[in-house]
Amino acid sequence: MGGVVEAMRRVAAGELANAFAFIGAGGHHAGRRSFGGYCCFNDVCIGIAAARRLGLAARVAILDTDAHHGDGTREIVEDDPAILHACVCGTAYASRDGTKRDLAVAWDAAADPDAAYLAAVRPVFPALCRAFQPDLVVWYFGFDGHRGDYGDMGLGPACFRGLADLMAEVAAEAAGGRLVVVLGGGSRTDLATALIPPIIARLADAA
Amino acid sequence: MGTTGVFYHPSFSRRSYLTVGRRLADFPGAIEPLLARSHVLLCESPRASDDLIRLVHDPGLIPEVEADPL
Repeated sequence: MGGVVEAMRRVAAGELANAFAFIGAGGHHAGRRSFGGYCCFNDVCIGIAAARRLGLAARVAILDTDAHHGDGTREIVEDDPAILHACVCGTAYASRDGTKRDLAVAWDAAADPDAAYLAAVRPVFPALCRAFQPDLVVWYFGFDGHRGDYGDMGLGPACFRGLADLMAEVAAEAAGGRLVVVLGGGSRTDLATALIPPIIARLADAA
Repeated sequence: MGTTGVFYHPSFSRRSYLTVGRRLADFPGAIEPLLARSHVLLCESPRASDDLIRLVHDPGLIPEVEADPL
């Protein structure tokens, strides 16, 4: 968790262009008074609070692409209009002020799951960010939705590469490139080894 | 060109994420070619203080997490 907080502080302060934060335990299921789902403390929300305490990153946009809903994060930021929280989920939802969104994937057995997933994000999240004008963008990146992992959604490497491109572009357009990628769920060593380096490479190319 | 920070701690590769102990067993070796780039910086993740946790969480959550057998 300390690495996530420090990554967010240093990117928000302009000391780093962007960052990738590995984790020791998950964060997005942890609420104010609860923990579980392999999450202890809400790393991203603590990072936001710490940055704000320093006068950095008043407005933060979060995209959660872990296979499971970021319920702890949503509970914590629910009443905070300066946090845009978009979660790719099984059902669609929009809060009254539009800053809390669940993006539903239109799964089609005949379609490419990677394309279906990206189609749920690409038309929506960039536009939300352009309107929201965040100081910092956070991508909560779980790879548990990859084929063969515990949240299997049939996704493959192309989906995660596509998300990395999209998030780098969104951050460049809406937040001066300030992007922090926070590792979320996913259990397999072979997938971590295959999927994480290209994302860090994309960050390095964008820096 | 700016700098990309990579925040990591060796303990993550010994026991990372509570579902599976060693999903990050190949790191940081798997990103050595990237760390060779002059603008990619490996940073050791610091331990977070209880004060930071209390910015968001109820203070009672800290001993609950510490007492969890996982």
